[in-house]
Amino acid sequence: MHSKFHHILILLGIISACCSCTSVKTFTTNYYRENEKTLSAIESSFKKSYEQKAFSVGFNDYSFNYISLEIKTDSIKYIYEFEIHETRLQDSLKKYQMPAEAIMDLIKKMRSIKCTWINQLDYYSNEQKKSLVYISIHPVHFRLPFTSEKYFILTYYSQPQYFDNEGVLLASRRVRKLRKINGDIFHRINDKVCYTISESFR
Amino acid sequence: MLLSTHKKYITRFFYPLMTCIFWLIQPKAMATVTLFSDTSSITTQIHALQFIEKKADLQQSKYWPNVHPIAFLQNLKKNIEHPLSLYEGSSTNFCGYAALSYLPLHNDPLGYLRFMLQLYSEGKAQYGKENFEPSKEVMQAAGTLSFKGELDVHPADQLWFLALADHFKGYVNFFDKHYDAGNENTMWASVNFGKFNRMIRKLFNYRVTAVGSDLIRPDIRDVFDYLSERIKTGTVALFVNNLDLYKKNHSKVKLMIPTHYVILLDIREVGDKIAITYWDYGGKTLQIVSPAFLKRIVFGISYITPKNIDAQ
Repeated sequence: MHSKFHHILILLGIISACCSCTSVKTFTTNYYRENEKTLSAIESSFKKSYEQKAFSVGFNDYSFNYISLEIKTDSIKYIYEFEIHETRLQDSLKKYQMPAEAIMDLIKKMRSIKCTWINQLDYYSNEQKKSLVYISIHPVHFRLPFTSEKYFILTYYSQPQYFDNEGVLLASRRVRKLRKINGDIFHRINDKVCYTISESFR
Repeated sequence: MLLSTHKKYITRFFYPLMTCIFWLIQPKAMATVTLFSDTSSITTQIHALQFIEKKADLQQSKYWPNVHPIAFLQNLKKNIEHPLSLYEGSSTNFCGYAALSYLPLHNDPLGYLRFMLQLYSEGKAQYGKENFEPSKEVMQAAGTLSFKGELDVHPADQLWFLALADHFKGYVNFFDKHYDAGNENTMWASVNFGKFNRMIRKLFNYRVTAVGSDLIRPDIRDVFDYLSERIKTGTVALFVNNLDLYKKNHSKVKLMIPTHYVILLDIREVGDKIAITYWDYGGKTLQIVSPAFLKRIVFGISYITPKNIDAQ
């Protein structure tokens, strides 16, 4: 009787683990397919604005009403927090000579698809500095009880990347080692876009 | 007989007299020795740069096989010229070691250089009161850490952080004292507040007054007043809750523990808010926060001052 109970518990554990893996995988594929156009627009708009002034932007609350804006200069990084409709936000963008209209549009698009954070990250490949666009999404749908917060992360590269047979991102063509970004292993969506599920959003 | 009595008197009075003289002189002599040996070392950037110029012919170390001498020297030179550019790497637990590096890079760059070059060439070296003899695993790992951003191309910083993490142990390292590949991201490299302050005292011989802890915030009524007073006369390091400072948590339940060290560079009032400028991740950051937010994120405050003649 006792052992039967244990077997049932183990079986339920396996089923729930399989379900959660499947749901995460399905979510990532579906989410990307459904929002591909918006995501690409966010990425290209961010890159264009970033060329004028280095920055990153993200939502820092559960209800997507408050943003954290990081403006990077050569000597210092400024971190500000704004309510999205505050006039101070646009004033600050103008003060730092940033493309205010484009950034406001970017924030609006990010909010529409629950995009938590967008940033440009530097990484090194064969000792050469390269950069990628890092987008994190807060998928409220697939959170299981008693589990930590999970984020759907997308990375956009300028050049095609290398993957193993299972579509896992590799360090380079020569070095067949898994490339980690912020400590996470990434998987292929296409040659220049990868995804992962992570506990941290930046 | 007379001589004998005389000798007796001399013997009788000589030793107490010498003891008195020695007793009178000794405390002063000891105080003088203490005064100089207990003074924090201060050197300049110019001295350090002159010193490193003479080391251009540095040979490949047999102890650190993956640290190339040219890259090692370039990295050291960069740290001396631009001390604020020191970067602990993304997703590592090296922030405590990076924060304390602020002190030697600004106040004693020559001492830092001498230690690094000796450790590289001889595989062991002394810094302050500590004798470093890093493990073989750490020596193999330095120069190979990857996917950490700019730290990937800074072998001297990898060596420095790994050597510190290998040498100093706190209670947070109890279950993982031995380095294995990838441990730079784990509890092996973690720094609790007590360990952080101990490292500063032992390595650089600074006076550290610490308030706060790993779990409970310091009992300070006005954090702004406390910090702004201390920053005028010393270096202030903060042990903060990183989830609140950087990694905003989108969940409703927040884990309130400190995980990150920063060096406070400036603090001032801006209306009813507070502007804090701090150093971490290889750069300066200015952030506007509310007094309540500041109180909420700060778990530990280390007020660090050099020991000098005046201080005695």
